[in-house]
Amino acid sequence: MKILEANAGALTNFEVLDFLRSRGAGRDPTRVLVSVEPSEFKVYDYLEQTAACNQTRQSIDEFLRKCKSIKLAKAEILNIINVRPSSLVELYPIIEEYDTRFGEAAETMEEFVESVVQLLPAPPNQMESEQEAATDQTEAPDGEKTEVAE
Amino acid sequence: MFYLSLIEHTLRLPPHLLSLPLNEAIRGELEGLFVDKVIANLGLGISIYDIRSIDGGFIYPSEGASTYTVKFRLVVFRPFVGEVITARLKESNAEGLRLSLGFFDDIYVPAPLMPVPSRSEPDPENKNQVRWIWMFDEQEYPIDGVDEIRFQVHNVSYPSIPLEQDKDSKPFAPMVIKGSLDADGLGPISWWI
Repeated sequence: MKILEANAGALTNFEVLDFLRSRGAGRDPTRVLVSVEPSEFKVYDYLEQTAACNQTRQSIDEFLRKCKSIKLAKAEILNIINVRPSSLVELYPIIEEYDTRFGEAAETMEEFVESVVQLLPAPPNQMESEQEAATDQTEAPDGEKTEVAE
Repeated sequence: MFYLSLIEHTLRLPPHLLSLPLNEAIRGELEGLFVDKVIANLGLGISIYDIRSIDGGFIYPSEGASTYTVKFRLVVFRPFVGEVITARLKESNAEGLRLSLGFFDDIYVPAPLMPVPSRSEPDPENKNQVRWIWMFDEQEYPIDGVDEIRFQVHNVSYPSIPLEQDKDSKPFAPMVIKGSLDADGLGPISWWI
């Protein structure tokens, strides 16, 4: 074995998930008929739980265009797409030396987090809580119904 | 978290695979060799992304099989230092936490990299485990297995294979990630939402 190029390009979680889906990982409920290894199914299961599962190529492209307005490293953008921080404090550990680079630009960063939330869809487990929060705010008339359903 | 790596490998194609198309046969052989295996200083092989070229096909003297040189790209799992990853709790003991991604279990958060200040107390439900609690503003935030946990990669190491191993030691792990929870925004997701 010879490693010609250790790093021939980074992949986002979405790209790996898309690749596994194209191999047929999502289509076969028995998980025996398609030629996908059991270890690849484990990766697929993990990625289905992350923010990657609802992302699309368009939403990521649009987000990348938005990123140009802020000076971020490539690795940081990659990490933001994978984690999808929904508040400023979640963004904080992803960005290196946040305080010296963006400590003073609190407003632009808040706008940036808002655009993250808008452009990238929420992961499945967070989606419910966000929806609940939304229905609480608007005091949805069918609140009783959902309680019964639960 | 995931990278592509270009690898060249020379492999012997056993004759019982001759009935398959060459691409499929080589792909199957490569999957057996590289998928779900750790390559030192490269990472954990996840999947064969594509096959770039297949050369050769020589049959060496006194061998009943052809040998090919293949260039292919492999998807590898290799987190970079400083990356934030979401994982689940696997174990929690006095030395710290052990986290799992489902496909990769050797992630350790040692006690010095836990949120400061924090303490541990025996878990009432499980005798061998402890529960870690972060104390902030006189409030207590326990780390339980309910939530997903975000950690930051502190370093990634590839220990060499031990020559001798004690009977009761942990199983050997070829790739170990050391994680940190000691920053704002890290830890169980429910702390910050």
